Amino acid sequence: MLLSLEHVSKNFGGLAALSEVSFGVGPGEIVGVIGPNGAGKTTLFNLITGVFSPTAGQISFREQPIVGLRPHKVTELGISRTFQNIRLFGHMTALENIMVGSHCRTHAGLWQGLWRTRGQRAEELLIRKKSEELLELVGIADERDTPAGSLPYGKQRRLEIARAMGADPELLLLDEPTAGMNESETEDLRLLIKKIQAMQKAVVLIEHDMHLVMNVCERLVILNFGRKIAEGLPEEIRENKDVIEAYLGREEE
Amino acid sequence: MDFWSNPYYQQIAMFIIINAILGISIYLTLSTGQLSLGNAGFMSIGAYTSALLTIKAGFPIYLSIPVGGLAACLMATVIGIPTTRLQGIYLAIATLGFGEVVRVIILNLKITNGALGLSGIPSIGVSIGKQISAMGFGNGAFGLTVQQLGNFSVIVILLMVLAFFVFFTMRLNNSRIGRAFAAIKADDHAAEVSGINTTAYKLLAFFLGAFVAGIAGGLAAHITFYIGPKDFAYHRAVEILLFAVLGGSNVVWGPLLGSVILTSLPEILRSAAVYREMIYGALLVVMMIFRPEGLLSEETIRLWKNKLSRNTPAKAVDVTRRTS
Repeated sequence: MLLSLEHVSKNFGGLAALSEVSFGVGPGEIVGVIGPNGAGKTTLFNLITGVFSPTAGQISFREQPIVGLRPHKVTELGISRTFQNIRLFGHMTALENIMVGSHCRTHAGLWQGLWRTRGQRAEELLIRKKSEELLELVGIADERDTPAGSLPYGKQRRLEIARAMGADPELLLLDEPTAGMNESETEDLRLLIKKIQAMQKAVVLIEHDMHLVMNVCERLVILNFGRKIAEGLPEEIRENKDVIEAYLGREEE
Repeated sequence: MDFWSNPYYQQIAMFIIINAILGISIYLTLSTGQLSLGNAGFMSIGAYTSALLTIKAGFPIYLSIPVGGLAACLMATVIGIPTTRLQGIYLAIATLGFGEVVRVIILNLKITNGALGLSGIPSIGVSIGKQISAMGFGNGAFGLTVQQLGNFSVIVILLMVLAFFVFFTMRLNNSRIGRAFAAIKADDHAAEVSGINTTAYKLLAFFLGAFVAGIAGGLAAHITFYIGPKDFAYHRAVEILLFAVLGGSNVVWGPLLGSVILTSLPEILRSAAVYREMIYGALLVVMMIFRPEGLLSEETIRLWKNKLSRNTPAKAVDVTRRTS
């Protein structure tokens, strides 16, 4: 397992946002996390990326415990994420945003930056090139020098994915990437996720668009009120009574 | 030549440059989005360290000023580790408190001569003047007296220091660390999740700001012969902040412009006598109403770049686009 969660719980005061959630993600796998609003999906991402520490349970990445690590350390280990409400660096250009993403893979310090040493220039050139490739990958190459804040919504979503990819992650956490997108944009995104998978990267996808989830995910984890109520292949989940109940409610007797 | 040889104007020019350096110091901390009001405190540490080293230990000025800057840096590490965890207004209050603590300590220490302050600090101008005399220009040269020549050299040295710090800041902005600073300023949390050790970089910015302020303090001490605790009180901290507020804090040229305007304004308005402070205050209020982001912003710079490049041949346009 690339990522594994064992009996992970998180309480906020008296509220149990997550309780006893366990699942794993294998290398190169696409796992969907679905559930109604408030089920604890984003909390799950926050626990994995070190934004919060779990109240109980263990999270490990490549067999190494990551609970208690600061978020930037988790990113350095190879887990990147995007946010449900887009959080780009608005005044910086699209390219610069991605270059920030590769921060933890580069090393130039104050001194090298001041004198533009040979190593620093080579490194800048390298990440510039890599960032341009990522712009290409997510399909916004012509917006290279546009300030991120003035990009249209759909392109901001793509840029955020590119920024996360800048850190060369092995595992990419996408938090509702299609929120607010129209059908053709969602389809483009599906292709993008497939391309990312082809690059040997595992993806955990929080998503409400069932069509996308059923199409792209190899396995699904369903959360409701902070508990995992089901896990399995998309076709199994489609028939699962508990899942249907969680989404649509119980049929009256 | 009259303007440049007048010691009064020369003095003002020196203060403008020192304030411009202070403007850079607040810009550096602000470039990570941290509002620190401790720069007056760091300035006083630089000033007193450098002054005492020359008076009591006989250090040469060119050595004592950098040591003063390092002393400010050291203090920044000590107080920065707890305070850079604070955000926004809390950091501002904590650093303002720090500045006051430094002032009160200086006021009560024997070595700093308490409220009387330190006088007879070796002056850069005088020591350069001596050098000039030793070189055989006892009566001055180029129609200037030794004192005028000394002052003139001080201005040149100060300009060089300022130019270095501007160069440093601009190089920083276009580097990996500068991008990390900008990311932290834009969205602290997103920066952390993108793999930036935000605590470390905030501390670094705090550190750099303190160093530059310490250097400015040392330079100020060796220009004015005298420093006292009053020079580094609350009003000083606010004055430095105003450089950034008036000039704009998103580009390094902002605080520079702010410091030039705010330092020369009282002199320009001297003829308005008692109304001087009122006009000064009114200007700031008008500024806040009509241009709250400061005189210079990224947009202004871009606009000017475009204007300038429109008047140059097409080839030059291409170059500016690539570098901007």
